[in-house]
Amino acid sequence: MLPAIEVRHVWKQFLIRHNRADSLKERFIGLFNQRYRERCEPFWALRDISFTVEHGEALGLIGPNGSGKSTLLRLIARTLYPTKGEIIVRGRVAPMIELGVGFHHELTGQENIYLNASLYGLTRREIDRVYHDIVEFSELGEFIDVPVKNYSTGMYARLGFSIAVHLDPDILLVDEVLAVGDERFQNKCLEKMLELRKQGKTIVFISHIAEIVQRLCDRACLLMQGRMVELGEVSKIIELYRSAAAPRVLTP
Amino acid sequence: MSTIETQPSLFQYRELLKNLVIKDLKVKYRNSFLGFLWSLLNPLMMIIVYSVVLRYILRVQIENFPLFLIIGILPWNLFSGTAIAATEAITGNANLIKKIAFPREVLPLATVLFHVAQFLLALLVFFPALAFLGAPWTPAIALYPLVLLLQVVFTGGVALFLSAIAVAYRDIKYLTEIALMILFWMTPVVYHFSMVPERVRWLFELNPMTAYITAYHDMLYWGRWPDAQMVLLGSLWAVLALGVGSWVFRRRQRLFTEDL
Ligand SMILES: Nc1ncnc2c1ncn2[C@@H]1O[C@H](COP(=O)(O)OP(=O)(O)O)[C@@H](O)[C@H]1O
Ligand SMILES: [Mg+2]
Repeated sequence: MLPAIEVRHVWKQFLIRHNRADSLKERFIGLFNQRYRERCEPFWALRDISFTVEHGEALGLIGPNGSGKSTLLRLIARTLYPTKGEIIVRGRVAPMIELGVGFHHELTGQENIYLNASLYGLTRREIDRVYHDIVEFSELGEFIDVPVKNYSTGMYARLGFSIAVHLDPDILLVDEVLAVGDERFQNKCLEKMLELRKQGKTIVFISHIAEIVQRLCDRACLLMQGRMVELGEVSKIIELYRSAAAPRVLTP
Repeated sequence: MSTIETQPSLFQYRELLKNLVIKDLKVKYRNSFLGFLWSLLNPLMMIIVYSVVLRYILRVQIENFPLFLIIGILPWNLFSGTAIAATEAITGNANLIKKIAFPREVLPLATVLFHVAQFLLALLVFFPALAFLGAPWTPAIALYPLVLLLQVVFTGGVALFLSAIAVAYRDIKYLTEIALMILFWMTPVVYHFSMVPERVRWLFELNPMTAYITAYHDMLYWGRWPDAQMVLLGSLWAVLALGVGSWVFRRRQRLFTEDL
């Protein structure tokens, strides 16, 4: 079977825009006045990244702050596009890059479940099928009929996580989401991820907690300054990272 | 067994399109029937003010002037309301665009459909007024949905274009408002096309909205079949706008995430 994710010689450049001109007015002024002209400085956030993730495999991304982990995850999620190279993703992706994205605060939990799941491409029938599981897992009970503007941060995140894991994804992309909610719910999330892994889902996972990466992932990939330093066994990568970078904690 | 996920198709996301429109309607009208009344107040005031000013001060000679105004103002508001809202369809949803990979066209298209829904609701309310004011009921009305469809397609193209351009030029909303004001007075909404001096008529004919509004007047005010030339012109504008709008949108959408 072909791999779930193929990343082939991917480069990602951002333009850091000094003096950013994002209106016609500013562009117009820039025509006449050097001082107000926008300058773009190219910045390579990722350089020549290549790897594959097999179906059912869990890959951890490790690296210091600003090394490009989130950028890589977004490229796989297709909210960003590579400057060079290509990424092939086989299967339905559930990005958990931030929970509760796209919730509308005036709408109730129920209404948000339908709106949010359709943002990920689910049809009405598919949502109907998982609706009760989402509500049950989120532990919101009667709050499901209350507008989400009245939710606590934890409730908000619970609903977001619950929707994300019930999208019936083939591939989960997880960036730091376990850092939300109380400890009990964090553990529940971790259990759910382990369960999904057992079911054969493919997972790409960023976390600053080494223990979790160790428990969840088959392999890990060390990124530094946009380059892939090493890809291999988790404990080896974590050790390598700790010796290479002074800080003991992995950053988001 | 596995499929390569390429650009997600718009058809697959029809549920999202529907939900976004329903969300906008709910948020606007929830808890308040008043919300709906407010949306009727605007065209109503326009009709009253133009009736008084144009009829009694500027002495425009159009028989049954309120009827003439209703027919043109509702579709005009559909167009102008959509155009202004479209400038915020992408920029106002930066959070969604950055984090979820759905087809971006859904956002401006939802804006269009939301305004179409509002237009149809308003039409329903103003319908008795049309009858009361003595609109001629002739078979020509059968073409009303067709002309409306052409206008909606044209508006959709404009919305795609404006929503994409607004990401790079945030002040496009103000320019759009100014352009709409000029365009309004260049469209035969509050006067009749035949009142335009011969010399400058070509300029008014180049205005896409002229084609649609004139056709509505033909059908509902004069009770005759819409001018074939105008319908043809309206079709050309619709195809052209949709073509250019989608092209610009597609070219720019890859950079939405980075530029927002
Ligand atoms: N939209 C953007 N425009 C410009 N630079 C960006 C953008 N997104 C990320 N970057 C830069 O790319 C680098 C990698 O960022 P990121 O992927 O968030 O790192 P990490 O998640 O590993 O901390 C950082 O230096 C960041 O400033
Ligand atoms: Mg990050």
